[in-house]
Amino acid sequence: MHDLIADPGLLYVTATVLPLVSFVLLFVGGRRWGRWGAYLACAAIIGSFVLSVVGFGIYVQTAPHHEHSQTAAASQGAGHAHAGAHSPATETTRGIQPPWSGSIYWAVVHYLGESEPAAALRLGYYVDGLTVAMFLMITLVASSIHIYSLGYMAEEQEEWVEDHQAHVRRRGRFTRFFMYLSLFCFSMLNLVLADNLFQIFISWELVGICSYLLIGYYYERRSAANAANKAFITNRVGDAGFIVGLLILWTYVGDFNVQHVFDTVRSPAVDSHGEPMPQGRQFVRVTAEVDSDGHRYYRADDQGDQVLLFRGHVHAPEKVQDTWHYEADMPTMPYWLLVVAGIGLFLGCVGKSAQFPLHVWLPDAMEGPTPVSALIHAATMVAAGVYLVGRVFPVFVPDVLLLIAYTGGLTLFVAATIAIVQTDIKRVLAYSTVSQLGYMMLALGVGGWVAGLFHLLTHAFFKALLFLCSGSVIYGCHHEQDMLRMGGLYARMKITAWTMLVGVLAIAGTPLFSGWYSKDAILVQALSFVSLNPRHFLLFLLPLLTAGITAFYMFRLWLLTFAGEPRDRHVFEHAHESPWVMTGPLVLLAFFSVVVAWGPNPFDVQGSWLEHFLHQGQPATLDHEKGYELAVVASQAATRERGGNYLARDSWLYPLFEKAALGPHDLAGALGLLVAAIGTLLALGVYYWRVLDAEEARRQFARVHAFLMEKWYFDALYSVAVVRPAGVVARACRWFDLYVIDGIVDNAARATVRLSQWDGRFDLGIVDGLVNLTADIVYAVGRSLRAVQTGLLRNYILFLAVAAVGLFALLSYLMALAG
Amino acid sequence: MNIPDVWLLTLIIFVPSLFALLVLLIPRGQEEWMRWTALFGTLLTLVLTLFLLIDYLNLQDHYGTAHRDRALLGARADEDLLLAATHQPARSDDLIVRIPWIERFHIEYFLGVDGISMSLVLLTSVVSFLAMIASWNIERYVKGYCVLFLILETGMLGTFLALDLFLFYIFWEVMLLPMYFLIGIWGGPRREYAAIKFFLYTLLGSVLILLAILGFYFTDLRPLAEYFKTHPQAQQEAQVLDRLVQRARGAAVNTFDILLLHKVGRESARLEALYQEAKSSAEKTPSVENQKKLEEVSALRQKYQLFSRDFQVIMFILLFIGFAIKVPVFPFHTWLPDAHVEAPTPISMILAGILLKMGGYGLLRIAYPICPWAAYELAWWLGLFGVINIVYGAFAAMAQSDFKKLVAYSSISHMGYVVLGIAVWTGLDRFQYWSWGMNGAMYQMLAHGITSAGMFFLVGVIYDRVHHRDLNALGGLNNSMPLYSGLSAVIFFGAMGLPGLCGFVGEFFTVLGTWNFDRVYAFLAAMTVVVTAGYILWTIQRVYLGNNPRYEGLPEIDARELTVAIPLVVLTVVLGVWPPLVLEWMEPSVTGLVRQLAAAVAIP
Repeated sequence: MHDLIADPGLLYVTATVLPLVSFVLLFVGGRRWGRWGAYLACAAIIGSFVLSVVGFGIYVQTAPHHEHSQTAAASQGAGHAHAGAHSPATETTRGIQPPWSGSIYWAVVHYLGESEPAAALRLGYYVDGLTVAMFLMITLVASSIHIYSLGYMAEEQEEWVEDHQAHVRRRGRFTRFFMYLSLFCFSMLNLVLADNLFQIFISWELVGICSYLLIGYYYERRSAANAANKAFITNRVGDAGFIVGLLILWTYVGDFNVQHVFDTVRSPAVDSHGEPMPQGRQFVRVTAEVDSDGHRYYRADDQGDQVLLFRGHVHAPEKVQDTWHYEADMPTMPYWLLVVAGIGLFLGCVGKSAQFPLHVWLPDAMEGPTPVSALIHAATMVAAGVYLVGRVFPVFVPDVLLLIAYTGGLTLFVAATIAIVQTDIKRVLAYSTVSQLGYMMLALGVGGWVAGLFHLLTHAFFKALLFLCSGSVIYGCHHEQDMLRMGGLYARMKITAWTMLVGVLAIAGTPLFSGWYSKDAILVQALSFVSLNPRHFLLFLLPLLTAGITAFYMFRLWLLTFAGEPRDRHVFEHAHESPWVMTGPLVLLAFFSVVVAWGPNPFDVQGSWLEHFLHQGQPATLDHEKGYELAVVASQAATRERGGNYLARDSWLYPLFEKAALGPHDLAGALGLLVAAIGTLLALGVYYWRVLDAEEARRQFARVHAFLMEKWYFDALYSVAVVRPAGVVARACRWFDLYVIDGIVDNAARATVRLSQWDGRFDLGIVDGLVNLTADIVYAVGRSLRAVQTGLLRNYILFLAVAAVGLFALLSYLMALAG
Repeated sequence: MNIPDVWLLTLIIFVPSLFALLVLLIPRGQEEWMRWTALFGTLLTLVLTLFLLIDYLNLQDHYGTAHRDRALLGARADEDLLLAATHQPARSDDLIVRIPWIERFHIEYFLGVDGISMSLVLLTSVVSFLAMIASWNIERYVKGYCVLFLILETGMLGTFLALDLFLFYIFWEVMLLPMYFLIGIWGGPRREYAAIKFFLYTLLGSVLILLAILGFYFTDLRPLAEYFKTHPQAQQEAQVLDRLVQRARGAAVNTFDILLLHKVGRESARLEALYQEAKSSAEKTPSVENQKKLEEVSALRQKYQLFSRDFQVIMFILLFIGFAIKVPVFPFHTWLPDAHVEAPTPISMILAGILLKMGGYGLLRIAYPICPWAAYELAWWLGLFGVINIVYGAFAAMAQSDFKKLVAYSSISHMGYVVLGIAVWTGLDRFQYWSWGMNGAMYQMLAHGITSAGMFFLVGVIYDRVHHRDLNALGGLNNSMPLYSGLSAVIFFGAMGLPGLCGFVGEFFTVLGTWNFDRVYAFLAAMTVVVTAGYILWTIQRVYLGNNPRYEGLPEIDARELTVAIPLVVLTVVLGVWPPLVLEWMEPSVTGLVRQLAAAVAIP
């Protein structure tokens, strides 16, 4: 208890371990626990939530309230944490101010005769503002979903359950579901808690396997098992990239600690003597040069092929003729490897967050139970990729950030277009998840660290809400998921309809709903970036356009489900509202979907308290006022004033604002609202007022419709380009083994047998001197050799022994010659 | 050497054989007694091994972190020898046994333990014990089976503990024949083909190893004794060799002593490194000074280098092929799928769990330290073999439809990490990478020993129930045998390299080491995780998931089978979650070896 107060970080460790305890108990206890197992899992995650709230309270009280101080403290903290195996005690020097961190050894390699390790992999915790916010979100959403699942999965409590899709009767698996959820919660919290990339990678894989297990929860269904495999294997493609990124950073930094990595690849603000560094908090690209006196040095150069690493003692550079000269003995790493490392880590995020081109697994993942779709495949795990990009943001060089932005931009558009034509209620939501994750990636890529993570948090609430509502609809309609067979359900399930409408309004970016604040932040960020880099105009156009598409397909979903006349009487007749254990969480999440982003004045789109809170944790490397790193992308001179949140004076849009006295917030916000309104009206026009005919549109654009129905043909492409070739290679390997290698082996054996037969024939011939009898004898010998193994074996051994002696004699002779 | 150590190590090796004798005495018809006797034999061995582990931990504590180098096997053996020579009492805890055996040829009964052998001895006794439990449903010729099984265990333990090449070779061969019969008599339909294939492959390997052993033996060590005398820092080594020279009374000094040969190998490599350095600098700047230096070094090399470069390369290749067959390394691997498919379940467990590790152990204990220069020169090729194994094995596994064959090919893929981890020679200044690789290789051997034994056992459990292994005809076992399927999932995920389970640790360490040796290798090894996930998940889907009315009502895994499966599952989890449990005592020996080898070829 004392430790918990002395180091609030341990609160978070406890919050992480609670679900693990629940998992282990359920694993050992198995079915015997019955419904109590589920209560145990709920208690564990609610316990984690309570601890997170307490931790949040302590954090808000003790956190320093000026910007950037955290990262500065973080770098110190990381240094301290490395001094000892387990060092919460180091906090004494700075009270209990966050970030809280500590770690223990997991695996080490020693020098001979030294107790300090040469290199070590560690497990640790690091709690800063982002961690605090993520913990609150994860535990709150997870708690709601646990409770909701008590209702949704209730029929699994029966001894025998009928699976109508796979047409089997099977045992109920109630506790198993909660066991997996507990393992997932542990892994997810551990991912957020980790202070190093190695631990993140471990959790990364663990959440992946939980996702696999839960997608395949109804494993009797072939589609579910396939979807589970697809999810895990697609993710592994990303993970292979992640591993490569890890290897590069390990090589040049020698450590996986995130803060340590940043401190090494970026220049410190001041050198070891307190002198300010000219390129503080930046990557320093350099070229190795030799001056006329033969002194070697590194010249700072925006196009240099090396990046300086800042380890140990650092001296500020000298200024020589407008360029900075760094000492030649500083360690460096090739710039291209830093790019590869960034791409590698990002590839991991692409897999996990279902970004283009690895997005194909997420829609299929909807095979899992709906609460799982809400928790894992909407609110938390898929957001882990976004979280990681945010967490390791300072490692990404501008080129990689641009790649991230475009990946996000492409993803959000592609997924939204596919969502338009889906008729399965969960698949629409799945594609909208992919699309929203694209928004977050895009925001991060254009330098909107706060905007991206802000959207992550708000999205978690309203998307979990939307999924749970869809679950409630599916539950109420007795496992009907096709929207074309719904309609008019408002009359049957009012709570679900209203709460879902809240979710729809939030995701469409309606003012006063949480999505408004975060989407606005993203659009503003994108607009600022584009105003600086006009040739990347797509990065604003795509999200803007997609805001309209989003509003369209979300209202389409709501209207098809709840409004109009029932299209299937049977479904309608039997539809009913869900029990309170399910609607309760809906109301709770709906509440948060509205207010989570509010500030003192909810009408101020920039006044969100949550956004402000995240702002304090923004990496100091990303100087949001200057947007420096991104300006480099545009390869503009570094001296010009440019906008992160406001427009640069030389931007092509600037005159507009000067004359109209508008800010980018007004422009981006107004455009966003306008587009969303158009999308909404279009949806109402087609699916409510029926002034437009959807069928007609489908006929008119049959090609486009088919293209979208086939999901841009990604699955077909991968099948042809990856899956089948892998099968061919695999079969080729088997063939090679069976026919080439074993062919050689078997033929060699046969040849040896023949040789031994000749040997036997020769032997007998000498001894008996009866040449004309050999034929018969050979026949007999041959037959006996074939029939009796031992005879064969003896000959072999003889042969090998002779060969060995001969070979050895030969070798000795050669050796002697060689001298 | 002290008496308790002698007894402990000797008993560990020969208790199984003693029990084999006991089994022989049991009259026909008392099959149950034979099984229990054999089981007790393996259990006793396991208990003794645990005592050995405790002793080894004490030993390590005794030397402490500051004297890790003195706790290394070679240093301990030297210390022991010198104490004996000066008639001082031996240390109470050096875990070295050295008794003259055939004095005419300087053959000794020489045993010793360090972290490398300790871990494998432990693995052997655990897997043997579990395999014996798994042997309960062997019905034919139970007596013969138990006797051969126990002799096999003696052979395996002896191989890991022997420090005399002659003794090593004997144990190596002792292990071979029982295996031949165990596959050939108790195996499946094509058992004879498989058994003879196994035997011939392995015998070929043995012959090559024998050649190398003879090559080492017939090297006269007298020049080395002189060489050590000129080195003030090699006092201990000089004294040890001096004793041998005196004992030989003017005749050639030959030895089968593995640890002594390590020294010969290291010194030869050091001279070679000096020579190569001098040569290249003389070629680069042909000054008189450099030329003179080259001549000096050349003369030194001429005089003292017992294992010349060419000799090392030839011997290393002989040894490598010999051990590679055991690992098995592509293209010497095709005995393995056949042997596995035909062997009875417990023998498959032993084969995959332990026998394959002898290849890796041989590389670590014999090939590398005795021929360091060759290993250094050929490192890239060795790594290539490792990578081919990883990739080729994984793809070949994917194409199999026989469950056991799939597991066999997955073994080939996983053992590739062992070869790769051993191969990644990154030099003294960056020795940490090689050390990760080497530790990864060792850890991978343990992890693979556990998961592959587990997988073969689990395949056997199904085979006993449905009498076929066709992956495409299985399915739905998750419903009929939920407990069994749950345990299987853990083991299979462990083999897949899921973090938190043991397979991940070795693979990750290996890849961590490889990147700094060759990026392409590391990239390929990292990419293979996708293929591995592919074939494992596909297998899980075909066997456990889905729904198959044919196998409804299949009996759940029974108590005996659980006693085999649960320890393996627990080990899979424990070793994955907390590797320090093993690394704590294994890593110093492995890193010590890496340091010594890296230092041997580094230019001072």
